[in-house]
Amino acid sequence: MSASVKVATLSADSNDAIEVRDLTKYYGRPSKGVLAVDHISFDVRRGEVFGFLGPNGAGKTTTQRMLTTLLEPTEGRIVINGHDLAHEPYPVKRQMGLVPEESNVYTELTAWGNLMFTAQLYRVPRSERAARARELLETFGLREKREVKVEDFSKGMRRRLSIAMAIIHRPTLLFMDEPTPGLDAQSARRIRDLIRQLNAEGTTVFLTTHQIEEANQLCDRVAIIHHGQMAAIDTPERLKRAFQRVQSVEVALEPDGSSTGPVLSLSRAESRGGAEGLTEAQDHGKTLAALPGVTTPVKMGDKWRLYTEDPSALLPRVMDYARSHDLRVVSLSTLGPSLEDVFLEITGQQVGVVRHGTEENAQQRRGMGRRKGGGR
Amino acid sequence: MKEGWLQRLRDELALAWTIAVKDIKVYYLTPPMIMFGLMMPFFMFFSFSIKREMGAEVGIARLLALTTFFTASSAGPVIIPLERRMGTYDRLLAAPMSLVTLLLGKALVGTFFALAVSIVPLSVGLLGLGVDVADAGLLLAGLALGSLAFSTFGLAFASIPTQSVGSIMMPSTLIRWPLLFISGIFIPLEEMATWTRGLAHLSPLTYAQDLMNHAVPGAGLLNPWLDLAVLLVSGILFLVPSTLMHRRSRQLGY
Repeated sequence: MSASVKVATLSADSNDAIEVRDLTKYYGRPSKGVLAVDHISFDVRRGEVFGFLGPNGAGKTTTQRMLTTLLEPTEGRIVINGHDLAHEPYPVKRQMGLVPEESNVYTELTAWGNLMFTAQLYRVPRSERAARARELLETFGLREKREVKVEDFSKGMRRRLSIAMAIIHRPTLLFMDEPTPGLDAQSARRIRDLIRQLNAEGTTVFLTTHQIEEANQLCDRVAIIHHGQMAAIDTPERLKRAFQRVQSVEVALEPDGSSTGPVLSLSRAESRGGAEGLTEAQDHGKTLAALPGVTTPVKMGDKWRLYTEDPSALLPRVMDYARSHDLRVVSLSTLGPSLEDVFLEITGQQVGVVRHGTEENAQQRRGMGRRKGGGR
Repeated sequence: MKEGWLQRLRDELALAWTIAVKDIKVYYLTPPMIMFGLMMPFFMFFSFSIKREMGAEVGIARLLALTTFFTASSAGPVIIPLERRMGTYDRLLAAPMSLVTLLLGKALVGTFFALAVSIVPLSVGLLGLGVDVADAGLLLAGLALGSLAFSTFGLAFASIPTQSVGSIMMPSTLIRWPLLFISGIFIPLEEMATWTRGLAHLSPLTYAQDLMNHAVPGAGLLNPWLDLAVLLVSGILFLVPSTLMHRRSRQLGY
């Protein structure tokens, strides 16, 4: 795998907004405590959106809290915009904005009151405060609600206000912890657009998330942390290329001559209901899994995704299978590895899919998961 | 360089004031603040004073010491764990200011609440009972310094790394209540045994009560300048355990 993990010594590279070396955090004494972050090292370049991914409990939030001075590292060094965080936190704090996982707004104050308080907290000049707050309320679609107490705001509105508060002082570095989970699609998209806009204006964004697709859409580079250790750092596309073995063929089939009927593999079986239909779906899963070259078949809604190292060799076999079983191919496509596939490979997890495979295939896939060590 | 430090000092003081104003707006009517800061001192005063013979001046002096003590020392223990739970305390900790500035801001909130609440017994005394104040200057200085000292005293408990108001109120009550009995509020200093009077000198509340005795009935026992000095110094010293516990919080992640 080409994904690389930097473990170099601390440099004075002015292109880096964040330089982290051997960062370690124990909760409790190192001899008895819980090791949350284990000697991680990485750099975040100025002007990039850097995604920090990992499963729950991997050490993402702990790392971000150390980077934002809220938590003291047990070991290691953090340099932000050229300032050592342990010795010069003040100038760093002035240049950073923080959007935590929970929207930490003052519910007893109005949107305007929250913005004014934050502006004062970051010493935004009095002459600029009101204009900046008005501009942000406009940008974040909260102008009409400026005098409404935040306790009456929806979750999405609180989130937007929380982001507005984090950038009122025009920080050069913005930390965001899970900015979109729990929001409706419209609010989530709005926030993603705002992140792009902020980045286009020159803000470096450190995005902690477990939303893989969000990271794929937004991030210039991503780091994957697992069990407190850095498992990979690279651009999303390079990471995907490093995992070519998780390419796949996605196919939807239906019984030939019944174009109005439901698509088979899911479908004909389920629409019939009962044990017979389910058995048929499982049978198809087993048969597809048995095709030469398939490492794992995964049912994805009304389709089957067949993981393979060689999609071009698998395609004719799928067509042969359809013909021999009197099935019509509704759709057929080859897919490269998604960032989610990469994430799953590295962390050895399954997210949001039901696997239908033989025990052999399951073992094979577990074996792929174990190969993550080679990428470190 | 000097200009830079002056600017920084100005910024830090402005930030402490900003925090205090925000907290006053946000927390003045929260139920725990009303319960622990407003009602408790009055209930305590009446439960210990009813059917006891004392002059109106003495009663008002005691009530003033009691209200400043309880109200000021309740603000931090109510506000900080609430902010920790809401995540808003992180906003303050991540802001560009020193920890002392943050604590000073929080101390000012307790001071303000205590001064505001002490207006109630003072008004009752002056307008309702016709009490004469012996030394208005000492009264104002005593109320202000006493409130500040007890506010930082409360912060020492509020800095315990927890998000639960109850976890802070328990040790806070455990310390505050015994202080009432050794500080000359319910038993005057001159009536105490020698050894309890020695103990009384360790409590800052003794000096606040003595100042009120100087200021209202005009009958304090200690030197009023000593009272003022002790309140000022203890107000500063109580910030030490607060900063140490905040450092511990940063290690634990609260």
